[in-house]
Amino acid sequence: MSLEAEALRKKLAELLSWERRKRHEQILTAVFCYALLAALFTLPFHGLLETVISRWFIPILFFGVMAPFFLVRGYWGLADSARALARIDKTLRLDERTLTAWELLERNETRAAALMVLKQAGEKLANLDPQALFRRNWSWQAYCALPLLLLWLGLLWFDVGLRFDGGVQFSPPQTVAQRLREFSRTLQEKAKNEGLDESLRVGRELEQLAQKGIDEKTGDERFKADLAGVQNKIATMGKSAAEQQPLSASESQQDLRDLKAELEAARDLLNIGDATKGSRELGKQWLDQLATLPQLKKQFEKEGQAGQSLSQSDLKSLLDKLDNQATRELDRRTLLDAQQFLEQLMKQGPGEKGESDVKVAGQGERDSPEDNETTNNRSNLPGKEPGKREGESASVPEFQAGAAAHVKGLLGEGGSSGVVLKAKPSGGKSEISQDEVIASYRRQAEAELNPERVPEALRETIKNYFLSLGIGKE
Amino acid sequence: MEAVAEIETRMQRARHSFDDLKAEMARIIVGHEGLIEQVFIALVCGGHCLLEGVPGLGKTLMVRSLGEILSLSFSRIQFTPDLMPADITGTNVLTDDPSGRKIFEFQRGPVFAHIVLADEINRATPKTQSALLEAMQEQSVTVGGKVHRLENPFMVLATQNPIEMEGTYPLPEAQVDRFFFKLLLQYPTRDELARIADFTTAGPPVALHEVLDAADILQMRQWVRDVPLADLVKDYAVRLLLSTHPQREPGKEAAPLAQKFVLYGSSPRGLQSVILAAKARALLAGRPNVSFEDIRQMLPPSLRHRLILNLEADAEGIGAEKILSEVVERVPEVP
Repeated sequence: MSLEAEALRKKLAELLSWERRKRHEQILTAVFCYALLAALFTLPFHGLLETVISRWFIPILFFGVMAPFFLVRGYWGLADSARALARIDKTLRLDERTLTAWELLERNETRAAALMVLKQAGEKLANLDPQALFRRNWSWQAYCALPLLLLWLGLLWFDVGLRFDGGVQFSPPQTVAQRLREFSRTLQEKAKNEGLDESLRVGRELEQLAQKGIDEKTGDERFKADLAGVQNKIATMGKSAAEQQPLSASESQQDLRDLKAELEAARDLLNIGDATKGSRELGKQWLDQLATLPQLKKQFEKEGQAGQSLSQSDLKSLLDKLDNQATRELDRRTLLDAQQFLEQLMKQGPGEKGESDVKVAGQGERDSPEDNETTNNRSNLPGKEPGKREGESASVPEFQAGAAAHVKGLLGEGGSSGVVLKAKPSGGKSEISQDEVIASYRRQAEAELNPERVPEALRETIKNYFLSLGIGKE
Repeated sequence: MEAVAEIETRMQRARHSFDDLKAEMARIIVGHEGLIEQVFIALVCGGHCLLEGVPGLGKTLMVRSLGEILSLSFSRIQFTPDLMPADITGTNVLTDDPSGRKIFEFQRGPVFAHIVLADEINRATPKTQSALLEAMQEQSVTVGGKVHRLENPFMVLATQNPIEMEGTYPLPEAQVDRFFFKLLLQYPTRDELARIADFTTAGPPVALHEVLDAADILQMRQWVRDVPLADLVKDYAVRLLLSTHPQREPGKEAAPLAQKFVLYGSSPRGLQSVILAAKARALLAGRPNVSFEDIRQMLPPSLRHRLILNLEADAEGIGAEKILSEVVERVPEVP
């Protein structure tokens, strides 16, 4: 091969290399644009991919998947080389000299006519700069890539995005440890607000256990095994609290809170009296005030101390005793709720809704079963021993004659300590809205006035049936 | 390097010779530059031409002038219905030898010339036509069992009168296919007519100079075959040819007009004609290789007489020219 032919071969290789490079650049740019488009279109579903790869790298994932396919499809072959050289000939008006020369070089032609072609092609291409003459032609994908990239980065930076919520939960379900941690924090907050030391201690212990489980990424089953120990401990504490003769379990949660508030008010009265009055006048004044504190009065009556005049120290010790009893009872009930929550947690799997359990633990009261609550009470099922009362829950308040006088919140009817005691509300969850109170009382009243356990949905039907019987007779 | 220099010389000589030929012809023939080029291309490719045009356009003058400039013998045969094959090929005639004995001596017919103008070939009977066509194919005639070789180079330019078709014997398609080119003579323009009047009605006849001779023509025929052809260019010619067929390869569509109006597309002779003619064109233009443009330019004269159209084409006035134009438009140079 002559020097001229060799030089021509190199020049042709340079030309084809440049064309090949431009093709690959165009392909990769187009793939990048398509990857960004795919990432933007699949933005609502990134929750699925986030467990595998960070959101910021999702376009790279798409790029990695699509690039091999497009590169294989755009593979540079002999036909592409011929096409590229034909384009060069057309641009430079060489009448297919370059193309013919390339083919003759491939065939290693040595005829004079072939050498003539090589010579003329070599002369025409000798000083050609392919990069200067055949510049890149960027497609629309190349122009769109940068704006799409900026759009993508902007959307991620401002955390703009949709979350697909068609009844399917894409966020990873909460583990048992995470749910326990939420519950323990709520329990601690309640215990602090109400001064329940045992519950507070249990709440801290549960939080420590939950945090340990989260940090060590303990599996749910293993965590439940750890939790079983704590559950037994809480059950033991609850039993021991019950044995310490707290107040009657028939007292409702609200009564106990009212009692604690009345006790505090009574102590305040006692302290003022210490400073200003003599002991005889204190006794008379104290009895007058007692009339306005129904819960306290009721406890005094139970203790057999209602009409007696007590010394100041006796009164203080009685108040302290009642306070301890109320606190222990509240503590006991809170621990019971915590125990019930733990039992439900042990039965449920991760991700199951346990909000109602958390709410129950937070409020600490369940005076009567909720209307929408499914229980195992057989009397709820139609046709199965209607009217049976299976026993009321301990938290249902006692209704006495003249119930109106004991219905809280009815201003102006009888003595109500609610107004006075609630002049000093404590922060957090000690406040209850009026609507909640009214709804709760309505349920209690209905439960007492409707001893027959007939489902609400059937009441109208049954009523119409009996009415129709009457009409039929006529 | 010596070989390359020789090729360079060859190319230059061919180009200059052609330029000289065109210049010399222009002294006596008005217009028809394209026609002269195509006739010369057919000559250097070793082919024969079918000329079609109304009478009085200078066909005979052109062919005769060509013969003079190329130092080639010329003969004209006027075909008539009563023309016999022997009138073309020649015959054995009874004569006396020097000793007075009676012998048969072969008298050569008008076909024994370098360039033969067969005027109105469609007026003669098929038998007479076949005598000429046989000579075109074999470059020899057989008379009385003896083969007589024709001149070399040998070229036949047959003419057909498109007006007087009544009482004629149109050439069968198989015979038409043997012609290298079919060339159409256009009526001269206004300016050309004025110049024709000047050339023919004023002044003495122009004496033409010889530019080439038979040996040069034969040499150029060899040069034409040496011109390199790229595979992609050859593929382009093949795709063009295939596009003239109504039924193409599976998965590829034929041109719509070809699909509708062509009964049979071009034969492989058409491809040979296109490629050879393209090579000759490149050589005469001083280029060392064949280009796509050469193929496109040589396509119409090579294929227009090789497409067999159906009656619907006749009824709608669609000719081969229109079909070939569409083919050239639709087929890309590079697939």
